[in-house]
Amino acid sequence: MIILENVHFAYDGIYTALQGVSLQIDDGERIAIMGTNGAGKTTLVKQLNGLLRPHRGRVILDGIDTKRYSVAELARHIGLVMQNPDHQLFLDSVEKEILFGLKQLGFSSEDARIRCESTLLNLGLDSLADRSPFTLSGGERKRVALASVLATEPRVLVLDEPTIGQDAKQKENLAQMLRDLNEKGRTVIVVTHDIEFVIENFPRTVAMANGTVIADGPTSSVLSNDDVIERCSLTAPQLTLAARSIHAIHPDVSERLTLLSNLEEEIVRVLRGA
Amino acid sequence: MPLIEFQDFSFKYYGADFLALKKVNLTISEGEYVVITGPSGCGKTTLCRTINGLVPQFHRGYIAGNVLVDGKNTRDHTVAEMATIAGLVFQQPENQLVTLNVEKEIAFGPENLGVDPVEVRHRVEELISLLDLEHLRDKHPHEMSGGEQQRVAIASILALKPKIMVADEPTSNLDPKNAELILDIIAGLNKRDMTVILVEHRLDLVSKDASRIVLMNDGRIVADGTPRNILVKDLCQEIGVGVPKATLVYKSLKNRGIDLGSVPLTGEELATLVKEAS
Amino acid sequence: MSFLEVFQYTRQDSIIHRLDPRAKLFMAIVSAIVSLIFLEILPLLIILIILIPLLVAAKSLRRWLRSMKGLSILLVFILVFNTLLSPAPNPLNHSIALTLRLIALMTSFSLFFLTVHPDELSQALIQMRVRFEFAFAMSMAMRYVPTLAQEAYAIMDAQKARGVELDKGNPLKRIRNIVPIIVPLIIVSIRRALSIAESMESRGFGASPHRTYMNRLSFKKKDWVVVFISLLVLVLTIYIRLYIPLYVWSLPF
Repeated sequence: MIILENVHFAYDGIYTALQGVSLQIDDGERIAIMGTNGAGKTTLVKQLNGLLRPHRGRVILDGIDTKRYSVAELARHIGLVMQNPDHQLFLDSVEKEILFGLKQLGFSSEDARIRCESTLLNLGLDSLADRSPFTLSGGERKRVALASVLATEPRVLVLDEPTIGQDAKQKENLAQMLRDLNEKGRTVIVVTHDIEFVIENFPRTVAMANGTVIADGPTSSVLSNDDVIERCSLTAPQLTLAARSIHAIHPDVSERLTLLSNLEEEIVRVLRGA
Repeated sequence: MPLIEFQDFSFKYYGADFLALKKVNLTISEGEYVVITGPSGCGKTTLCRTINGLVPQFHRGYIAGNVLVDGKNTRDHTVAEMATIAGLVFQQPENQLVTLNVEKEIAFGPENLGVDPVEVRHRVEELISLLDLEHLRDKHPHEMSGGEQQRVAIASILALKPKIMVADEPTSNLDPKNAELILDIIAGLNKRDMTVILVEHRLDLVSKDASRIVLMNDGRIVADGTPRNILVKDLCQEIGVGVPKATLVYKSLKNRGIDLGSVPLTGEELATLVKEAS
Repeated sequence: MSFLEVFQYTRQDSIIHRLDPRAKLFMAIVSAIVSLIFLEILPLLIILIILIPLLVAAKSLRRWLRSMKGLSILLVFILVFNTLLSPAPNPLNHSIALTLRLIALMTSFSLFFLTVHPDELSQALIQMRVRFEFAFAMSMAMRYVPTLAQEAYAIMDAQKARGVELDKGNPLKRIRNIVPIIVPLIIVSIRRALSIAESMESRGFGASPHRTYMNRLSFKKKDWVVVFISLLVLVLTIYIRLYIPLYVWSLPF
């Protein structure tokens, strides 16, 4: 369990990025963090693994203040996958890249080899094991970066903008993988602008603006709020717009945020009933 | 005469072991708004580069077939010569801003081509007001948001007065609000008679404005038609295209025997169809 | 690094900012030559006293003072060591003069860099017959250095998040730790350079031998006045140095 207690942070001590963020993240949750650029999302996730430390307030991991841990120690528990894979890939084969991450966190070479192999297989990267990441496509590099973190099996996985540059199928694969991990008890946190990805895959949403949490709760209610949509620079999803418009005539159709299958059922009910 | 004509065009980058484009045939006429979409690595970016001659003039490789743009064969003309015909907007805004302020950025292209300074100044002022950039005039790229940077990048391309605007995923690094803004600008340009070719994943935002969707997969064009005809095809989901949710609702209703009559591309259209049907 | 601020362009609207960069360059060079001609306290003080109102006119006095404050430790250091080590007959006087000369030199050039936008600088260079490609390369370096720095920080964060401990271990290990930072930085820069090149190529970079410039610099009356006064000062000081024996004023110890 991670608890953020009234966390404040300012870059260079001047540019305020977080002003009093409090949050509780339970084990096994799936959480989306949304907000405009500059709302403090990335600053927030960097507080979790100690890349940035609160100027005021505390970050508590399983009852212990994280200021007692180094970034490397926190990395065993909290895996952060950055937005740009090119910022971390530097070795000349995919396999070495994944082994490097494991070795950094102190896994024995035997253990590392086993984990590396199974991760490559799970992410469909086994055919690329000997390729140089430099020659792979953007989407593939993104998966390699993800694999190098996944292989260490952190309890909490944090992904910064994982869907950028991914097509619909790749997104679906990513979502499936995150659900699988989650079922094994891992906590999954994503920072994203991709509202449909969130609606379909993340039960809880934390919306941020100006360094504070402006809404935190079930995705379906947080993202039904026009004020949140506006302040997070999002656009209302098509299905919500449709549901609202239908609701105006058929009040029994819920105007709230909804999944495709739900809206479909409602429309069927309206049309068959008519 | 078509404005752009691909004739059995194939291309393989030097050093690559596969063809990026395979026997592409495509004709685009003046004033069209063509959205090109398809899964990652399907050849969309190469297609864009081909229209302004970056392929084969800048990115070299093996070529077969021809591409004619405004009657000019891209094999025989430099990118600079094509620049006043087809302008290319790229994915990453910050890599397109090479000067230290907005005025200079817009002037960069015409200055390179030796346009008269009075005319350059005229174009700069015109574009600053057209794209609402007044407040950014003296700004360093670092002081602008991604959306603002992309707007400046579009202005810097328009300064060359091209007939065709090609945009390669111009919104993929932007938040949805800014993406919508950029796409509205592009749709507006099309209404002012500019031919637009746009590579885009967010079909929910562009389908309503596009006159045509070209679907690519594995270096080939696999479908080509109006948005309402293309997006209902099962092929879209098979190859990994993000079909608008409203259209998906239409499709699954149809599978259950409920026909809404016409294909919705937006939430509003879906709602209207449902209201009419009930 | 706050003392470097004094060489960084600041956006202001002032009489000095509006001068032609070439006139300001000439003024800076003259003022530097004059500072190098004298190594006596009094004339160097006079130079500084003349330069300070110019800083005020450029609305940059506060910034200059802040930089000098940042430099003060270094200046005191120079002063003390020179006094102790100098073979000159009057070491304290000599070191004070040296320190004043350093300040005068810095101020001369800071007046130039504080008030000349990098774009203007490259335009000035072009009109002084420097090839466009070179002048442009310089302004592009200014454009992308901050981007590169940001990227370097992002890469360090990404590696730290994987458990790389950059500042741990013996010197050899620390050097090895740089590899995961440098390699991505190079790769990212190459990718970026390619994409920048594509964008520039698409806008006709280097295509026409007759490139035009929207904002050509032109010398105005006030620029000529600056050049004329600077020239006058230069001639006058050289004359004084050569033909008029200066009353040597020195500290009474």
